[in-house]
Amino acid sequence: MLDVGALGAWFSDAANWTGRYGLVNLLGEHLWLTFVSIALASLIAVPLGLFIGHTGRGEVFVIGLGSLSRAIPTMGLLFALVLLLGVEFRELSVVLALAVIALPPLIAGAYSGVASIPPSIRDSATAQGMTAWQLVRHVELPLASPSIIGGFRIAFIQVVSTVVLAPLVGLGGLGFGIIQGLALRNFAQVTASSLVIIALTITGELLLGYWQRRAADRLGIPTNLEKP
Amino acid sequence: MKLKRVTAIALSAGLMLGVAGCASTATPSADPIVIGSQAYYSNEIIAEAYAQVLEDAGFSVERQFSLGQRDVYMPAIEAGEIDLFPEYTGNLLQYFVPEATETTAADVYAALSAALPAGLSALAMSPATDQDSYNVTEEFATANKLTSIADLATLKDLKLGGAPELAERPYGPKGLLEKYGVTVTFEATGDTTVDSLVAGQVSLANVYSADPRISQLKLVTLSDPLGLFLASNVVPIASDSVTADARALIDAVSAAMTPADLVALNVRSVEEKLSASVIARDWLVSKGLLK
Repeated sequence: MLDVGALGAWFSDAANWTGRYGLVNLLGEHLWLTFVSIALASLIAVPLGLFIGHTGRGEVFVIGLGSLSRAIPTMGLLFALVLLLGVEFRELSVVLALAVIALPPLIAGAYSGVASIPPSIRDSATAQGMTAWQLVRHVELPLASPSIIGGFRIAFIQVVSTVVLAPLVGLGGLGFGIIQGLALRNFAQVTASSLVIIALTITGELLLGYWQRRAADRLGIPTNLEKP
Repeated sequence: MKLKRVTAIALSAGLMLGVAGCASTATPSADPIVIGSQAYYSNEIIAEAYAQVLEDAGFSVERQFSLGQRDVYMPAIEAGEIDLFPEYTGNLLQYFVPEATETTAADVYAALSAALPAGLSALAMSPATDQDSYNVTEEFATANKLTSIADLATLKDLKLGGAPELAERPYGPKGLLEKYGVTVTFEATGDTTVDSLVAGQVSLANVYSADPRISQLKLVTLSDPLGLFLASNVVPIASDSVTADARALIDAVSAAMTPADLVALNVRSVEEKLSASVIARDWLVSKGLLK
């Protein structure tokens, strides 16, 4: 049962906010791992998605990737990477495991953004004498931007909720409070850490959703996001 | 309509109670002894040893192994769903009394017996232990002439690795400072604790004393002269439904198991990848508890 009093006491105890495993440090570490993983994944995913959308080659790959992303056991992958690379490279292992789950939504976002551009627009751009590179840079990329941001939104939600596993291999992040709290039967700490993770996820999702809508509005194209 | 539904619920509830009543009263003598174990290979081997001696003596047993960690299975034991469970005195005492201060084997056992809920009792404890211990690598021990935790007091920049909860345990960083004057910074290395020690990322690691890797990787376990750690002997927890005959059989198993035996059982599990039943059987035969 949720003990609101104990929860309030946990949040108002300054000792829970400071230090190596304090809330501030853990939140920073959580955000950093999330950011680096998504950034790394996007370096590969966005160009690849644009390429597939532009050329129409490898569309089956994108569809397969969507279902594949749900089939990867992230925890298994994480432990396998740590064993493979060694504990000295645990940060890299975590980032790689998280990047793997960020790849599918990022590729799908970039791909579907380009693929949904009406052929007439591409044709007219080509008719204006645009080269393939100019077509990608000045037509496809801007028009695909809301969908690309949508891909980041989904990748963020998946990665930010999976960073919780990082303490299992000796890193921090907000999952620390949950894993330590369970072992110590400190349920106020478990609940508090969960609430912070939920708040972080919802905030990030709202911000990215807002950005996605802004990008779509500017282009005058509809998105699947309702206006508030 | 509403009345009808209430009647229906009452009727079906009554029916279920009746059926349940029948099930539990029909054949009391044939009720098997339900033996549980943690999701920990070493614990499963001990549970398997209990099961085999009981079966050999004609008892019917039901194995409910790999039941996760204490938070998961303890409520089931307290509810009477499991009759017999291999446990560890110190860790179990800490579960019931988080602020327990006892550290010696006898004190911990006495405190545990008093702390157990009604309907459960601790059978005689075994000399075999599986408890927290602080370990360093052989090179580090030689370079700094370490044999005891007290020897760490002169060292600087010590990094202690262990499970996340070690940060808050009485034998964690606070206990090290209070009892031995040893200052450490804590790194929550989780499941990678031993690897982190070997890789030099931490200088001191909390490892269970029966872990085969201590001997495999030539780790040096530091002695604990001031009793920082709670002794944690293997102890069978039995419900009141376990008969005196069965208890006597389990006591014989506990008495026969030495600390070295337990480590050897774990080594067989890790190195030879044998099943718990084979390892337990071989050990029981070697001790003359099974033919």
